[in-house]
Amino acid sequence: MGQTLTEKILSRVMGRAVKAGETVYPVPDLMTVHDWYVVNFDKALQELGVDTLYDASRVLISTDHEPVATNPASAERQKRVREIVRKYGITQFFDVGRGGLGHIFPMEKGLIRPGMFVLAYDTHVTNYGALGCLGIPMVFEIPEVLACGSVWIRVPETVRVNLTGSLKPGMTIRDVSQKMIVDIGEDNLDYSVVEYSGPSLKDIGFGGRMTLCNNPLEMGAKSALVEIDRWTIDYVKARTNVPFVVEKSDADATFKSIFDYDLGLMEPQVAAPPRPDNVVGVSKVAGTPVHHAFIGSCANGSIEDMREAASILRGRKVHGGVRLFITPATQEIAVQAGTEGLITAFMDAGAVMTAPGCGPCAGGRIAPMAPGENSINTGTRNDPGRLGTTKGSVYLASPLTVAASAVAGEITDPRKYL
Amino acid sequence: MDFVYQGKCWKFGDNLAVDADLTKKEFATQRETRLEILRDFVMCGIDPDFPKKAKLHDIVVAGRRFAQGNPHIQGLLGLKSLDLGFVCESIPRGSFRNAINAGVPFLTHCWGVTKECETGDDLRVDFAKGVFENLTRGTRKQYEPLPSELLEKIAIGGWEKAVAQRIAQMRVQGLIKPASGAVA
Repeated sequence: MGQTLTEKILSRVMGRAVKAGETVYPVPDLMTVHDWYVVNFDKALQELGVDTLYDASRVLISTDHEPVATNPASAERQKRVREIVRKYGITQFFDVGRGGLGHIFPMEKGLIRPGMFVLAYDTHVTNYGALGCLGIPMVFEIPEVLACGSVWIRVPETVRVNLTGSLKPGMTIRDVSQKMIVDIGEDNLDYSVVEYSGPSLKDIGFGGRMTLCNNPLEMGAKSALVEIDRWTIDYVKARTNVPFVVEKSDADATFKSIFDYDLGLMEPQVAAPPRPDNVVGVSKVAGTPVHHAFIGSCANGSIEDMREAASILRGRKVHGGVRLFITPATQEIAVQAGTEGLITAFMDAGAVMTAPGCGPCAGGRIAPMAPGENSINTGTRNDPGRLGTTKGSVYLASPLTVAASAVAGEITDPRKYL
Repeated sequence: MDFVYQGKCWKFGDNLAVDADLTKKEFATQRETRLEILRDFVMCGIDPDFPKKAKLHDIVVAGRRFAQGNPHIQGLLGLKSLDLGFVCESIPRGSFRNAINAGVPFLTHCWGVTKECETGDDLRVDFAKGVFENLTRGTRKQYEPLPSELLEKIAIGGWEKAVAQRIAQMRVQGLIKPASGAVA
């Protein structure tokens, strides 16, 4: 019996063939932790009497959840993070201004390669699946991984999604992705890895692949990854000389389920409050007043997303009752956006640029919304409190729909501006 | 640890949010893990008086996607602080792990369990064997219990105690260095 790509990756790490359902303790090739948890893991390790990491060379820390300290307590925490990084001898430290959002820039820098296995203190490490890397969120148990090198996981089953068809005007991968996780449903996604394949994959670039790998975990998936193809190989080889092995799921591998999914959606999709799976066509919520808008996050902070936003905002003005924040996810994306004149278009429109990183999506520590306000944004989640207050309403949509809504001052179908 | 809990049923619906329903959202961003603090806010998003009403070994029964949301542990630690168990129709992966990490006994994938009881019923649940008894109705259901290796982690008392044991074993094997300043 053949293996899925996920089983192959974990078999390589374990040094023996593993199959879905087994409980294993695989040592990851890399473990990532973001700025908000470093002080906590240091405290946890101290309480466990551990002052040496299992392998500091496999640890990557990024300052992305609150890149710009906004008060003295934040500045002090950042100072502690720098001290802790030195204390444990962690060399892969990307402070503010050095990388950006930790679920994206390691791919740009060639630190993530196909076939790698990564554990992370953050749910959206699944983004690395864009390059055929298996990234699994661990959160609370990361101190165990740092101290002992591993933690238990069950080898997950795989849900295969063959992408077919093509996007219609005004539609983006975000629209498809958030509709798709609802259509496939929690019973399929829970505890499983989503593997994307199919004839339409060749038309999807870095940003779209990340979005596809980002959304499923909101419906219970353990991870998501894209079949390694010519695009993946070219992208990675342009960024690193470190060799990697190109593997795919075997034709006779056992999948939990297999879907064909057509990209040819007929209407932009919006996730209405209070959960990412409360997805409706934009016409159902059109006209809802908007006060706060945001384009960015690990789901949609790529250069492709910036270009889509600019296609609406260029030559237009953000509505007087709306504040629009735009966060290129990484330093590299911000530079590219500047080179292409996108930032000029955003600033001319009256948008506010924020430092590369997670932007307001990280709990609203940066640019939150106020009680009673509505936000439409490209963030990852829309549960109450995601953008600060629990007394606001958060809608999730594509960069096109968010930009169009920011211009109109109410939730709007972006096709009217195309 | 005794995996048989007998107590009152507290029944809830689908999609209870781990942050907004099971506890106070602020505890997640504050990374609050002290049980004595969390105890007063268990289920506060639904019923602020719940901590005063719930008793030792009472059982929370819930529908699909119990404790959904960003996988913060605070809501599950809250259940531990009152020594409650839970039975649900489904639970997302992050909260599944965090229930084990918090040392809370539970049964999941118990389809239709919300039809088997009402709030106030007397329940007896054997979490190790998967037996769910409604003593008020005189009914009994058999569900799939957690695998033994995960029950062991709950029996030890959750993640902190389990990882402390693992670290001690790895030290004996020479796989983790003794902490500097530690007495040999």
